[in-house]
Amino acid sequence: MTTTTDSQTPVAVDPNLVTVTIDGIETAVPKGTLIIRAAEEIGIAIPRFCDHPLLKPVGACRQCLVDVAMPDREGNVRPMPKPQPSCAMEVSPGMVVHTQKTSAVAAKAQHGVMELLLINHPLDCPTCDKGGECPLQNQALSDGRATSRFTDVKRTFAKPLKISTQILLDRERCILCQRCTRFSKEIAGDQFIDLQKRGASQQIGRFDEDVLGFAPLGDATVGPAAEDESGRAFASYWSGNTVQICPVGALTSAAYRFRSRPFDLVSTEAVAEHDANGSAIRIDHRRGTVMRRLAGDDPVVNEEWISDKDRFAFHWQTAPDRLTHPLVRDRAEDGTRGELRTASWAEALEVAATALAAARDAGGVGVLPGGRLTIEDAYAYGKLARTALGTNDIDHRARPASAEEESFLGHAVAGHGIDVTFGDLEKAPAVLLVGFEPEEEGGIVFLRLRKGTQAGRTRVWSLAPFATRGLERLDGTLVPTAPGLESEVVDALATGTDEPSLAALREALGAQGALVLVGERLASVPGSLSAVLRLTAATGARLAWIPRRIGERAGVEMGTLPGLLPGGRPVSDAAARVDIAAAWDVTELPTAPGRDTDGILAALAARELRGVVVGGVELGDLTDPVAARAALEAADVVVSLEVRASEVTDLADVVLPVAPPAEKSGSYLNWEGRVRAFRQALESHALPDHRVLDELARHLGTDLGARDGNVLRKEIDQLGAWDGERVAAPATEAVAPAAVAPGTAVLASWHLQLDAGRGQDGEPFLAGTARKAVARLSAATAEAAGVADGGVLRVSTGAGRIELPAVVTDMPDHVVWLPTNSPGSAVRAALGVLPGAVVQITAGTVTTTEEA
Amino acid sequence: MTENPKKPGPIAEMLAPVAGFGVTFANLFRPVVTEQYPFEKVPTKPRYHGRHQLNRYPDGLEKCIGCELCAWACPADAIYVEGGDNADLPEGAHVSPGERYGRVYQINYLRCIFCGLCIEACPTRALTMTNDYELAGPTREGMIFEKDDLLAPLREGMLAGPHPMVEGTEDLEYYRGEITGPTQAQVDWVRERRPDDASLDAAAKATVAAPDANGGTR
Amino acid sequence: MSNETAPSGFLLTTVEDFAGWARKSSIWPVTFGLACCAIEMMAAGASRFDLARYGMEVFRASPRQADLMIVAGRVSQKMAPIVRQVYDQMAEPKWVLSMGVCASSGGMFNNYAIVQGVDHVVPVDIYLPGCPPRPEMLINAINELQRQMQKEPLLTHRREVVKAVEAAALEATPTHQMKGLLR
Repeated sequence: MTTTTDSQTPVAVDPNLVTVTIDGIETAVPKGTLIIRAAEEIGIAIPRFCDHPLLKPVGACRQCLVDVAMPDREGNVRPMPKPQPSCAMEVSPGMVVHTQKTSAVAAKAQHGVMELLLINHPLDCPTCDKGGECPLQNQALSDGRATSRFTDVKRTFAKPLKISTQILLDRERCILCQRCTRFSKEIAGDQFIDLQKRGASQQIGRFDEDVLGFAPLGDATVGPAAEDESGRAFASYWSGNTVQICPVGALTSAAYRFRSRPFDLVSTEAVAEHDANGSAIRIDHRRGTVMRRLAGDDPVVNEEWISDKDRFAFHWQTAPDRLTHPLVRDRAEDGTRGELRTASWAEALEVAATALAAARDAGGVGVLPGGRLTIEDAYAYGKLARTALGTNDIDHRARPASAEEESFLGHAVAGHGIDVTFGDLEKAPAVLLVGFEPEEEGGIVFLRLRKGTQAGRTRVWSLAPFATRGLERLDGTLVPTAPGLESEVVDALATGTDEPSLAALREALGAQGALVLVGERLASVPGSLSAVLRLTAATGARLAWIPRRIGERAGVEMGTLPGLLPGGRPVSDAAARVDIAAAWDVTELPTAPGRDTDGILAALAARELRGVVVGGVELGDLTDPVAARAALEAADVVVSLEVRASEVTDLADVVLPVAPPAEKSGSYLNWEGRVRAFRQALESHALPDHRVLDELARHLGTDLGARDGNVLRKEIDQLGAWDGERVAAPATEAVAPAAVAPGTAVLASWHLQLDAGRGQDGEPFLAGTARKAVARLSAATAEAAGVADGGVLRVSTGAGRIELPAVVTDMPDHVVWLPTNSPGSAVRAALGVLPGAVVQITAGTVTTTEEA
Repeated sequence: MTENPKKPGPIAEMLAPVAGFGVTFANLFRPVVTEQYPFEKVPTKPRYHGRHQLNRYPDGLEKCIGCELCAWACPADAIYVEGGDNADLPEGAHVSPGERYGRVYQINYLRCIFCGLCIEACPTRALTMTNDYELAGPTREGMIFEKDDLLAPLREGMLAGPHPMVEGTEDLEYYRGEITGPTQAQVDWVRERRPDDASLDAAAKATVAAPDANGGTR
Repeated sequence: MSNETAPSGFLLTTVEDFAGWARKSSIWPVTFGLACCAIEMMAAGASRFDLARYGMEVFRASPRQADLMIVAGRVSQKMAPIVRQVYDQMAEPKWVLSMGVCASSGGMFNNYAIVQGVDHVVPVDIYLPGCPPRPEMLINAINELQRQMQKEPLLTHRREVVKAVEAAALEATPTHQMKGLLR
């Protein structure tokens, strides 16, 4: 009042801020802000359907109409003749906006739009899965007319339409907001659904002429039918996100169909366990049963998206083979195993401790914690091994691993904290993928990379035998690399090369913020990780190691590797050992070099080690499942900590049941090194691993102090970072690739995101969206093997064979690619070899028998 | 206290000790008010809130669609419902018309306060209340009524489910009350699959024609 | 008749029948109105429903003279020990009728203040739903209880029955493991 100048001085001194007035409230927002966001900032909610903060504006539903006035050239504020969609219009200086709260025009427009949207809506809320959490339902109530004036026949469709085994489409409920198609196009990039037809007949559909009945009518679809190898449309790893963002019940999932209602669900924030990202999820449960999982909202990790695996694969936690009681197996005098019998915790722990103590004194005990570890569990496993069992024979890597990888992890990963982040992925000018397939093995990493490439910031190169659909959608450049030759190519990049494509890549990697992403698969390519370190040193590119399992990084940090103590402290460093020994209140830690997974199994088979503690390990994931089985058979005592009965259970002497993620609290460490703490969702009597290990150690006469996860976290935090010497960088020589004789090829292989993994058990609808297992090889290789495109290829070794349909792919000759663990293609179990090995390829027999 | 306006006369004062018996004697000649309850049941008011009932359409399909709105409305959390998908039933059978049916339906009568909010919430009039109030029981489990306990018995001419919906109809025809009884096709369907079904004979006699396909609009 | 030596069989069943008839024919309830259900209980005692028809009109103020405790109304946590004390003070044989949903399960008061069913405190012989139950419902529950009383076993027979019931209870699935049932 006293200072009249105040109102005349523009509030926004920052030139990037724009001052607008919404419903009489003046606010300054950054340039380019949409009206709807500016209104949100000051607490004015404008109804909307198509608008989504992570999707581009489209203005499709018209529900967010507001009255807008803007200053003209003379500065007179002039109203626009018609209401404008606030979700598609950016603010401009001096703009005056009246929402439905202050403008009769806007309110009437919104009521009209709502009435139109509801004209063809079936109003079947009581049967609809979205009922109770439906934006259309809510906004029809808050911003709609009380009664409809529509008396005619509603448009009807056959429903529900299965656009994949998991996703059901109800076109009657659809309001054509296009959130799903925009998600598919902009975020996931695998667009199998789109708008079809015009006017009142406009509808969402997939490119399958039969389903929509287009073919008899003679209508043509907009685009050609896009199909993947599975032959199914919408076989997307991200399809569940469209269900979550659908503002009506038009897209629903088969897994959650008619399961429950939002009002009887209890929601718990949690972290997904299926990949190394630790995506934020929400677990919705009812009376102690998980009903569904939704994507959580965590801008720094997964934004609002999760993979279908994280969303739909949760029944494994309550599968019928879930272990509920401790089991003990009695052995005869000669060591033959009897039957497992149910035992009390006290008895099982006593039996386990006695047998482990005997095995420890007789030779030693190895520890294989597996890859499902939380930070607390990993720490407890490491502490158990190094105190109660007095050994460095511990390795969480339940997969092909190498000493080179261990040095690499100790040198470049352990103790580095959060280095490369998800945010860096979408900002990096250049990303080189080595031994890493982001969509299949990286989960949400793929979406972040795609966000960068879509924005034109990021270019992606991949060292792989062929360009996958994922790489194509990243607009990536393939550097064709036969398996086993990664180290050669990386070294060529590191030392500089004349080859023009590599030279461009080399230059791109020199840019500020360039990234090299390596996957866990590189462990089976000797010399490649050493070469990657040389490359990053030479180019200055930053390095990130992205494993497949959630527990890998926690294991690396918490010292469940033979040569590493918590915080990246090398076992070989006396000061590091003293450091940890003091924290653990023991006089000294074991100094003998430890064995890795393969070493432990070999030592068990050779009876150098007498016992083993096994966590979440599937024998089929190990380098040689047959040898692993033999090794466990040879052990005097096998103690298994498992959620569900597995192959290890069949060989275990004591089985201690542990809690699945939904039934415990803890914290995962994702590949970034970010702590992803989660709370217990379900009430349960099941104990987390660290608690069981604490009891086991107590029976062995050692106090791990691992009873309480919070106490454990405090202890871990107090250990702090290691400021001493790190493990030396590996300098392993590359191995010359094996010669390829006629009739043979080099095996390439990686895991598909949806495969035969036990974490996806009990999910038939999800399994239906998986990609079909195929064998890939080049045209020349196929011809040499006598296999036509689509024919059956037999891949065999001395150990066994795999027969899959052959798909001729643009890739180096003399290479054959198989999915590592898909139905019909269990490479390690069936062939007993790793990628890079030479396998025989011939035409398969299946078709010939069928023809006969 | 200070001024009694009407001082009783001497006769009144004399009879005062026995005046009370006047009331007693007068009542001797009035009709008895006592209800001989277990022997003679006085009907409740027609809208009395008694035990629930899950109703059926005239062709025998259940009205309940498992939408859980009754459970949502219940202030005492006495109702538990799980939905099911009619498409999961074999050979096109339906428990209720439309996509969804109530697979599990329980009312815990030791929580239910008979307020009737569930009845108001029911979108298909599947749930109504009877006038039956004799509910006492010796165990807590026994007081949780399952769907079988709550379902209305089949009236004469109704065909026991599950069986297909009336041919050529959708759920809307049922909601509009255009279904008046089982059709011959439904009876034949059940006869083929469950020849011993007790409701078959009566239903066969009560068959009606399916509503005119053109008459139904959506 | 000594408990140890009493024979079972024809004589005892006849005695049981007689004792049951005697017991059920004049139940004396203890005055135990806790909330709104008590109003209906009082109505049941008044002339329109007239519990005197069952010899039940004497609601005793002293538990020592009563056979039946009608827990009429919600039992708060603070009231629970008193309910138990009154029950303990009643002489054998004694019965408990849990009147209304609040007494039976906590009813709509699923909260920290209310005992979730008086059977957490005393053994209940008959549960009566309703909020509140009308007097007819109370009389119906009493009739049910009378039927139970009529068949009440005695002496050794009783001990056998108790043993069998206890054995069955040990075998039964605990409530927290029952699937699909409301709790």
